[in-house]
Amino acid sequence: MKKTLYIFSNGQLRRKDNTIFFMNEEGEQKYIPVEDTAELMVFGEVDINKRFLEFCSQQEIIVHYFNNYGYYSGTFYPREHYNSGYMILRQAEAYLNMESRVSLAQKFVTGAAQNIRQVLKYYQNRDKEVGRQLQEIEELSTKIKETCDISVLMGIEGNIREYYYKAFDVIHGQSEFVFEGRSKRPPQNAMNTLISFGNSIVYSTVLSEIYKTHLDPRIGYLHATNFRRFSLNLDIAEIFKPILVDRVIFTLIGKKMISKRDFKKDSGGLMLKENGRRVFVEELENRLKTTITHRGIGNPVSYRRLMRLELYKLEKHLMGESVYEPFVTQW
Amino acid sequence: MFVIVVYDVGEKRVVKALKRCRKYLNWVQNSVFEGEISEANLTKLKMELDKIIVPDEDSVIFYTLRSTRYSDRQIMGLRKGGQDLII
Repeated sequence: MKKTLYIFSNGQLRRKDNTIFFMNEEGEQKYIPVEDTAELMVFGEVDINKRFLEFCSQQEIIVHYFNNYGYYSGTFYPREHYNSGYMILRQAEAYLNMESRVSLAQKFVTGAAQNIRQVLKYYQNRDKEVGRQLQEIEELSTKIKETCDISVLMGIEGNIREYYYKAFDVIHGQSEFVFEGRSKRPPQNAMNTLISFGNSIVYSTVLSEIYKTHLDPRIGYLHATNFRRFSLNLDIAEIFKPILVDRVIFTLIGKKMISKRDFKKDSGGLMLKENGRRVFVEELENRLKTTITHRGIGNPVSYRRLMRLELYKLEKHLMGESVYEPFVTQW
Repeated sequence: MFVIVVYDVGEKRVVKALKRCRKYLNWVQNSVFEGEISEANLTKLKMELDKIIVPDEDSVIFYTLRSTRYSDRQIMGLRKGGQDLII
């Protein structure tokens, strides 16, 4: 499996000797094997030239940029190599037909809700008092199937998340990381900062996986297709956020790998310092590499691959071969 | 598949060999590379190296492991190169 490279240092990226070359500010040089690289995540201040981007395009390497605050700022999405007019038409068809769009959107929300439930159940079995939240979520989940309006569906999803986040304080039980309601752009407290940072990485990871399929990332179902952004990756990420991001956060807090000292006040909010980002990314990358035995395939499958399988299922759904069912974690 | 490549080639060709290996693997020490590689890429690398070396004078050794699970890697002294995914 080709690897993801995370760049936190400042420096320059170049094409050199037909491979990727990175030199940091201190002049330290490093060659990165192109043949073993699938994507770059750039957090540092990095100089890039056209020659390098052309090389990335040729090697089908996707480059995600994050700004100074760790927010996703954009992606160099190389020329598609899996072009399929057929797939785009299918995707658009499913989007334009309200019935099929809603049914797909419902699937994404159901998948997210069920994975949230699994996470809560896991902690309930470890004697955390999350029974009430669990019950509320189960109740809300029954409403998903009855809704036939996307905005109402998003509302339900928001409510589920609200109850879910209320359970966070109970799960980790540390006063440093009290949740206090969701806040974004900029996040107001440590927990929100972690959630936002993790989510943005998962969004771009899913986008990279979409690149390897015939699907067009611009057409999403739960998240409306608009003029600006990729939205299909947001849909798929919904399913994986609870089992990847949130569980990584609990691990980081539980094992005290991240503390108050890893945050700094900036532009009216709270930001992760570089060291905190590194620890987070490392843990998330480990989680993505973790394999579980897939029931359908019977072989160990990594979480990253699981994302791709999710996209293949969606492709099959759009082609009318089999109905899409979201991935729900076992254990 | 995990591979360790060790080469001993003439001075004139050593840079060429180095550059070819960099494309596929991580540099560890002078004339030593290691890393995760696919079967196809290993064949490609072998072919590329084959074009560079002079069979009578040079030698390249490939150690391939199916996984690194049963291997252990210990370093004495300096750590010169490696395969960090976070830089």
